[in-house]
Amino acid sequence: MEGFLPHPWWEIWYALSLPVVVYGIYTMNRLVKERRETLPLLALAGAFIFVLSSLKLPSVTGSCSHPTGAGMGAILFGPAITAVLCLIVLVYQALFLAHGGITTLGANVFSMGIAGPAVAYIVYKGCAKSNLNFYASIFLAVSLADIATYLVTSLQLALAFPSATGGVLGSFYAFGTVFAFTQFPLAVLEGVFIALIFKYVIQVKGEVMVKLKVIDEKKLRRLKGVVQA
Amino acid sequence: MNHSLLDEHALASPLRHKNNRLKLGLVGAALLVGVSSPSPVAPLFIALSMSFAAIRLGKVPARFYAGLVAAPLGFAALGAAIIFFFFGSGPEIFSLELFGLRIGASADGAEMAVLVVSRTLSGMSCLLFLALSTPMVELFALLKALRLPDSFVELSMMIYRYIFVLLEVVVRMRDAQAMRLGYDGFKNSIQSISMMAGTLFIRTMEQGERLFTAMDARCYDGRLFLFEERRPVKVQELLVASGYVAFISALAYFSRGTAIF
Repeated sequence: MEGFLPHPWWEIWYALSLPVVVYGIYTMNRLVKERRETLPLLALAGAFIFVLSSLKLPSVTGSCSHPTGAGMGAILFGPAITAVLCLIVLVYQALFLAHGGITTLGANVFSMGIAGPAVAYIVYKGCAKSNLNFYASIFLAVSLADIATYLVTSLQLALAFPSATGGVLGSFYAFGTVFAFTQFPLAVLEGVFIALIFKYVIQVKGEVMVKLKVIDEKKLRRLKGVVQA
Repeated sequence: MNHSLLDEHALASPLRHKNNRLKLGLVGAALLVGVSSPSPVAPLFIALSMSFAAIRLGKVPARFYAGLVAAPLGFAALGAAIIFFFFGSGPEIFSLELFGLRIGASADGAEMAVLVVSRTLSGMSCLLFLALSTPMVELFALLKALRLPDSFVELSMMIYRYIFVLLEVVVRMRDAQAMRLGYDGFKNSIQSISMMAGTLFIRTMEQGERLFTAMDARCYDGRLFLFEERRPVKVQELLVASGYVAFISALAYFSRGTAIF
């Protein structure tokens, strides 16, 4: 939310996000030099994240909720590049939809573009090693990424506005509980949503996933077999 | 999907033809003053003047503008409520019983909550002023001039272009699904929206390959050259803008001790 974070916190979050974004741009440049066809692909992925985050998910309570799409980006392209994509998407959200803002951009990039994707990536890789069901691991990665984003956001607010009696921890609980009502169902919902997307893509055109090196041929055949059975 | 993207209003705005650097500078300065002001007076003044500028000079429908401000304000109000109850010490001015728990709010908390809401309002109105008067296309040339990495600006431009392409696809698929009762009930809705997003993803990847072929065929080497229209700043505009910035800075400085509670 524009103007919500006071000085010095918005500058601090800018400073924390900057190195990651710079590293992301560096990684991206290297990738683009190696294989030039990646730049248009990344651009489309960024646009996809934007469109995904502007979709309204049907929600149990009747209210609307927006997925973040960053978890999916992290699974497909890794967290560093996702941070860059998220930065661009967040600027567009601010300028097109009046979501978020410019002074809070640093904090938002940190929670949505860095913390969330990092968790998604770690969980996804961890699950891949432990041989868990592919779709279950995507669900877990995306949901936990959402929860991480929400926890980091609560922490950012708590650090900026510590409670008089309980300090930072006290107001962290307060912000956390209030947002939990909307964020937990949303996290589960987005996990299901993204897992189903993967399911459709693999059923209809699994080669795309092989090309993006998300899965290999062997796994694709196995997944298709599992789905059709 | 509503097509009320702010960019469309920016393209139609009369303020579009003003110098971009001037607008960006003005908004940047107002944002900074708003967020660093220690009392709610200056942020509220910025909010009012920026909204006035957007509606009057930018010819944005007032009702549409109100809708834009209202949505994020809900979130800000929620956050402010928490600050109201948990932040700061001092004389207690308000308390209530909730689930047997006594929650009290102090004057400091109230002060802070008002300040945060006013800052959010001022920030929102600055952002909206920029978004409603400057189309994104015009900012790309500026980004290049700011020496941001080429790949980053190119990526932003392509993302910008494809947001609109994909949105159109989404609207079409969504209508087709809705006509076949795809959004009847919660379970169906989840199924449909995932199917739609999955198809969108496949379309996206195919489009990405086509885009590469098309750009390669036209000798794309990682740089598009942009044409930035020259719009010299009029002395009078510069004076008004700097006068405004000087005024809000002074207002923020002299009202720093103002307290409501």
